[in-house]
Amino acid sequence: MATHAVSISDAEYEEVRSHRLLGFLLFLISDTIVFSSFIFSYLYDRSASPIWPPLGVERPGLYLAAVNSIVLFGSGVTMHLAMEAWRHADRPRFNNWMIATIVLGLGFLSGQAWEYSHLHDTWWGTVFGASFFTLTGLHGFHVFIGVIFLITVLLQTRRGVYSQTRYFGLTAVTLYWHFVDVIWVALFFLFYVY
Amino acid sequence: MTISELQREASHAHIHPPPQGFVSRYVISFDHKVIAVQYFITSGLFFVLAGLLAELIRVQLLQSHNTLLSAQTFANAYSVHGSAMVWLVIIPVLTGGFGNLAMPLMIGARDVAFPWLNMFSFWLFPPAGILVFLSFLYGAPQAGWTEYPPVSLHTPGTAFWCAGIFLIGVSSTITGINFMVTIIKMRAPGMTWTRMPLFVWATLVTAFLSAIATANLSAALAGLFIQLVFHVPFYDPAHGGSPVLWQHVFWFYSHPAVYIMILPVFGIVSEVLPTFVRRPIFGYRAIAYSSVAIALVSFMVWAHHMFTSGLAQWVQLPFMILTMAVGIPTGIKIFSWVATLWDGRIRFTTPLLFALGFLPMFTFGGITGVMLASVPADIHEHATYFVIAHLHYVLFGGSVFGLFAGLYYWWPKMTGRLLDERLGKLHFWLMFISFNAAFLPMHWLGLLGMQRRVAFYDNQFEGTKLLHLVTDTNVWASFWAFVLGASMLVFAYNAVRSATHGKIAGPNPWGARTLEWMTSSPPPYYNFAEIPLVLHGPYDYGKPLPYANISQDLATEPIA
Repeated sequence: MATHAVSISDAEYEEVRSHRLLGFLLFLISDTIVFSSFIFSYLYDRSASPIWPPLGVERPGLYLAAVNSIVLFGSGVTMHLAMEAWRHADRPRFNNWMIATIVLGLGFLSGQAWEYSHLHDTWWGTVFGASFFTLTGLHGFHVFIGVIFLITVLLQTRRGVYSQTRYFGLTAVTLYWHFVDVIWVALFFLFYVY
Repeated sequence: MTISELQREASHAHIHPPPQGFVSRYVISFDHKVIAVQYFITSGLFFVLAGLLAELIRVQLLQSHNTLLSAQTFANAYSVHGSAMVWLVIIPVLTGGFGNLAMPLMIGARDVAFPWLNMFSFWLFPPAGILVFLSFLYGAPQAGWTEYPPVSLHTPGTAFWCAGIFLIGVSSTITGINFMVTIIKMRAPGMTWTRMPLFVWATLVTAFLSAIATANLSAALAGLFIQLVFHVPFYDPAHGGSPVLWQHVFWFYSHPAVYIMILPVFGIVSEVLPTFVRRPIFGYRAIAYSSVAIALVSFMVWAHHMFTSGLAQWVQLPFMILTMAVGIPTGIKIFSWVATLWDGRIRFTTPLLFALGFLPMFTFGGITGVMLASVPADIHEHATYFVIAHLHYVLFGGSVFGLFAGLYYWWPKMTGRLLDERLGKLHFWLMFISFNAAFLPMHWLGLLGMQRRVAFYDNQFEGTKLLHLVTDTNVWASFWAFVLGASMLVFAYNAVRSATHGKIAGPNPWGARTLEWMTSSPPPYYNFAEIPLVLHGPYDYGKPLPYANISQDLATEPIA
């Protein structure tokens, strides 16, 4: 991310950073559109059906999903704390909160894997099941990418890629992680509550 | 801002040395100008393939019950023809090709914001095209370029098609984001929004549509792909899915995509006209802002493609009215261009001829578009050749003519040599006459009820007379379609010939005033020795050039 960090002036870095930030925000917007499109499809199919979920399909358990949600939102909090620690130049606390975020992210993924393995195989044959797997699967994939992103950034900080004033990779992973959190709020509501 | 303030803003801009090896220079290149040429060459190859499919379609239609192609093969041919022309030719050429070639130069930048992503985005494109054509081996798509389920669910090759279009969609999204950041952040000092050349305005709006709308297409394609490969019922009515849902998500992308295919052409025409008319463009702000208006309305008109899909009447009405409303910003542009011509000193060069050809043909396609927007008319004409004629007037008479205007206009900037004017004019007249002769009669065939998308047509359309002049309209259309194909050979010959026989262009052969002409042809790797300062808008013919920091021997506007 910041390989030129040492060789360029502050003004140049500020320019590069503003390009990357705008580019990354636009990426997040287009990613939001991808999720919205699937959510629209789900709501469209849902509105066409008299009973929801369709006959023979049970909603996935709320209890596990609620615990899993708390795990994911908790990782959002630890992410924020890691960022705060970085801003206060507190490296040990930063490392701890980053590791906590990664562990919570992995915890969410294992919860999801457990949930998938206990759902009926026949689910793929229904619109409800297909939408559930596609949307939560796409979200899970985002979490997976996010965990890899977090690990990469953590290793980069240890290699000294980022400085106290130049840390765009860290900003990007924070934005991405909070984005994934927010998407989950919508999915949780759609599949487990509404 | 004063000049000294502008200079301070421009102070930090490095010149990087160009890469040396052949691969880093021409294959895995980060240079926007080289990437543009890569787009042109790749799209050119797909244009030939998709064009040959079009000729095959016209051969089949020479007779009402031609045994050359089976119904299945005919469906494959037009499906891949349409998909390839839309996604592998027009969209990549207009965004990746012209956007890369001209936009960074026009805003006085050294390159786009993310050169690596630009390279990556291009290299998604050849595999995408290969996947689309590879589908022929596994049962090519047969439901047209729109691939409506349930018909599209019966050919396994559709999965290849999905994967290919998905890749080109991702490429388009990345390019869109890249261009938006470039235009928003990297304009030369002093280039305010209203000093931007109109092609840059058009590219900005197109980039917005590519970034936003194409993401939605990716989701729709992923849904279709999952359905085809894992047999889940998203769009399958037998298991609670809905085929109409596909139409909604597809058109929510594809209607904005229609404007991705025309807005850059509006930009090209807005550059070509003032250059050869030697007058300021009429209504600069009107043209710029109407592009924005078109983009916004384009997200609210998608269901006009679905008037025959059983929508409720209260849904149809607003879509009909909003669709007709698109005619207003488009009309503003047409009037502005015509007013630019008014009282100008017109030089009839090849780029201008193509731009002038674009004007009436696009207007005509726009008028039939308003006819089709009307629900009762659309229900009557939807499945007929009237739609084929309308679409080709907009996409060929509009986009492809504008595309050639841009190609003839920027060819000297890209290669350093001019194309031959006489061959160019021959190309234009052959293309103009044969295109109109082939597609204009299809309006009549459609109104008479000839069905589109079928390999065999009713005997009554064999020997359809046209104004007592033509004895068989289908044979006539096929003949001119072959001439249209042959006219491309004139261009190919001209292009190859220019490499050795073309006149050396010099920095500014047309006497234009936008920034890309203020550097040598082809431009050096770093585009500008110094980042130029922009003091005024680009179209004030007859006034001094509005730039500082341009080396004096390049700052020419020789044709007064």
